[in-house]
Amino acid sequence: MGPKSREIRVEWSPHSGGVLRTVRTMDSMDLDRTTTALLAALHDSANAAAWEAFDQRYRPIIVGFARSCGLAEHDAAELAQATIVRFIEQYREGKYDRERGRLGAWLVTIAKYRLLDTRRKASSMHIAHGESAIVNLDDDRAVGDAYETQRRLAILREALKELREKTKTDPRTIRAFELLYYHGMSVQAVAADLGMQPQEVYLAKSRVAARIREIVARIEREFEETPGELESSPSRVSAMLGG
Amino acid sequence: MPERRDTDPTQPAQDDAIGCGRLSRESLELAAIARVDRAVELDERTATHLVICRDCAEAVARLAQEHSLLVELAQAARPEPAPAPELDGGAGASPEEIPGYRLKRELHRGGQGAVYLAEQLATRRTCAVKMLLGGRFATQAQRMRFEREVEVVAALRHPAIVTLYESGLSRAGEPWFAMEFVAGERLDEFVRRTAPDSRAIAAMMQRIAEAIAYAHRRGVIHRDLKPGNILVDADGAPRILDFGLARSSSNAEAADPRSGSTLAGEFVGTFAYAAPEQLAGDPSLVDSRCDLYALGVVFYEILAGARPFEGAKSIAELVAQKSAGVSRRPSAVSAGGDRFVEPDLDVIVLRLLAPDPARRYETAAALAEDLSRYLDGRPILAREDSIAYVVSKTVKRHKLASGAAALLAVTIVGSGVALAILYSNAEEQRRIAEEERVRVEAERERVERAYLRFRSALESANPEEGPALATMNVRDFLEVVEDRVRAEMEDEPVALAQMLQTLGTIQLGFDEPDRSRDAIATASELISQAHAAGHVTDEERAVAAIALGKQYFADGALDRSEREYRAALDLLERSAGEDALITVETMRHLATVLRRQGRLAEASEQLEQARGHAVQLPATNDGYIVRAGILNGRGVLAAELGDHALAIDAFREALDVLSRFVPENDYRRGRTLSSLARAEFEVGLLSDAEQNAVEAVRILTERKGANGEWTVEASALLAAIREVMASQRAVAP
Repeated sequence: MGPKSREIRVEWSPHSGGVLRTVRTMDSMDLDRTTTALLAALHDSANAAAWEAFDQRYRPIIVGFARSCGLAEHDAAELAQATIVRFIEQYREGKYDRERGRLGAWLVTIAKYRLLDTRRKASSMHIAHGESAIVNLDDDRAVGDAYETQRRLAILREALKELREKTKTDPRTIRAFELLYYHGMSVQAVAADLGMQPQEVYLAKSRVAARIREIVARIEREFEETPGELESSPSRVSAMLGG
Repeated sequence: MPERRDTDPTQPAQDDAIGCGRLSRESLELAAIARVDRAVELDERTATHLVICRDCAEAVARLAQEHSLLVELAQAARPEPAPAPELDGGAGASPEEIPGYRLKRELHRGGQGAVYLAEQLATRRTCAVKMLLGGRFATQAQRMRFEREVEVVAALRHPAIVTLYESGLSRAGEPWFAMEFVAGERLDEFVRRTAPDSRAIAAMMQRIAEAIAYAHRRGVIHRDLKPGNILVDADGAPRILDFGLARSSSNAEAADPRSGSTLAGEFVGTFAYAAPEQLAGDPSLVDSRCDLYALGVVFYEILAGARPFEGAKSIAELVAQKSAGVSRRPSAVSAGGDRFVEPDLDVIVLRLLAPDPARRYETAAALAEDLSRYLDGRPILAREDSIAYVVSKTVKRHKLASGAAALLAVTIVGSGVALAILYSNAEEQRRIAEEERVRVEAERERVERAYLRFRSALESANPEEGPALATMNVRDFLEVVEDRVRAEMEDEPVALAQMLQTLGTIQLGFDEPDRSRDAIATASELISQAHAAGHVTDEERAVAAIALGKQYFADGALDRSEREYRAALDLLERSAGEDALITVETMRHLATVLRRQGRLAEASEQLEQARGHAVQLPATNDGYIVRAGILNGRGVLAAELGDHALAIDAFREALDVLSRFVPENDYRRGRTLSSLARAEFEVGLLSDAEQNAVEAVRILTERKGANGEWTVEASALLAAIREVMASQRAVAP
């Protein structure tokens, strides 16, 4: 899904009188991809693109979170599905107000209660494992950390995808990183494999890190967990959207 | 290369050259990985260089960050989004997820994690691997901090401390630790099973206190001492587990009462041993003395067979109990049992359990010392203070103000033998306080007198006032001052000694050992006497020994010099500690003496010892200058062993450090340049040698005078270099 110059219908907010706008994004900030913009677009039940973008962003995080809470892959996927659906329902009912807290915290709360419910139904046997590795759902801090970990992983995955698909990075540069870090090869071996000098392998690795850092920073801005914490505060966004 | 070059200066990792250029990219990368992965070992040269070169250290820090990011990225990109602990599987990361270890079986499982018996594959040694659950590090910064702290803890080497080998993060981001495996029994269980007498318990506590003192000197606080963290091995020796881990993992947060943690099962286990200031939750109040408190609870528990505070139902109640202090002495609790607890042990334990940290032992070393005294049958030192402490407790119980009014109230209200004893003890305290006041006052007067006399001694050197000659130079002037000081300050031996020591050291700085000899010898003698009488500290005594060591060195009396330096080191290791600047510097001096005696192997060993401790030095100018001195020492040693190339490397590195931390014309630079020139001359780098020798002669002439020993040496070297250069030119067509 290429966000650049893709058209998306955006209903700015319930307070804007329900006016629908058409926005063409063009700057690297991908305004239509900020969480604020996505949430705004979700009000329009016909906006499948917004739904899809939201789902794509949060589903993997919730799946990862559910797995770190002890669910098997299949159950985790189901839980993520149910969580997202429930969130969108609540959001459209006006129950979620961003001023009241981070979106992640809201999602985690939904997921957590679903999880507790699943566990109750599953078996009382599991509850007896008070000392297991799985995230203790009574411990808000641990729950929050687990969500943060998954969010970070999701952002990194997306950053890598973007590095591969959307930048003009030499494939050998990425290959050098993969051989070093996935396959645990030595710099000398990677250099021989790719016909590079060891020095070039080091540079390739540094370049991947630097690009990833840039992309991650941008995605983090898109994720802006609470409104107003960076430049795309509603008023600013609305101004940029021509409102 | 087809890619665009990144010219953004904020991304130095993309530049070809990073660091100062001395270390290869490969070495820097390896050092960065070593920060994250303790299994990677650095060669000595790189490790040394990184200690002294800020540029390279920063480059390594940057690369380590980069490395961590890429490791994280590789983890994220694996097809499996997260480890999948099955509900009924229990454990977090599964055994095969610890690289380099084979986990054999589970030894223990608790709320914080699981401990496995494991084999380190590379060394085949048996060890224990502990996995902390729920201790994830969300941010890069947390991980980096964790790694740094693990480094410090892993450097602890003490027979009573279980050594941490290495640590890392599992795929789920949870920390694991590999440590020495000790087949032992928990301290409380051991005591229950073998029922040792209180003397044997005190002996064991003494070894524990020494280990804790060792760790504290290195800045590591345990923070979670409890019987479960102290094992007794097959030889009956105590071994302390999990040093510093409470601090570096999020367990500390879990144990923080403010976090509202629901680790109910851990409640008693964690909080029973926590000091009141720890429970109060203000981290700024928590220091090494919280370990002493925990040790007090452990000591009480194993002596008396019961914990000092029982029955609290909430943290608030426990805090209240602990703040009020212990209500029953261990001897009273154990009475009727088999174990007789002597009053001295009561005093030691109560001192450890003082609610106010200022009333506990100052250090674990002081506790160890008192336990030794008890074991040797000498009077313990805690006694005096404990009386004041008991008074203060009584006063507190009566909810009275303090001071004289409280004292008065106690004597009026109270009756019976106990209070009478308290009263006389309180009187004793007041007398001691009064004596202390008189002593301080006398000291102040003494300093004032010494100052006035010194002033008059200086004034006497004014040619208009006294016998001094208008033509005299600084060295003559110092001699006049010395004579006057000796005459004026005779009745103030300590002040006189310190003055003479300063004057003598200045003369030595001028390469005038004949003029300094008397002053330094007299000073040393006076300070020794004062030290024996308890008027000066160990450190002051050591400083005098160092000055005398320097004097003997200048005199060529190397055996005597060695003896003084060794005596100083003995004192310093006890007082300032092994990692203090002055201690490290003295080790280096001793190495120089040994080298001059021709005992090169010993010199090298001594220098390495200094280098090992220099790593711990603070990153201050003085710290770096001492490190430069050590590098210089290595250079001289290498040159003496005929390895001029290595010597050149060491001297250049020393100069590199010096040029950043001392003025351009500092004598140490001159001295090192001269050494470098000699080494370059030896290997035929004539023009480099000439250039450095010229610079050395210039600096040394300026700092030490044209006739200074080092200046003469450097001038002779320069002449020799030029002679060879001239002869080569003559030969050349």
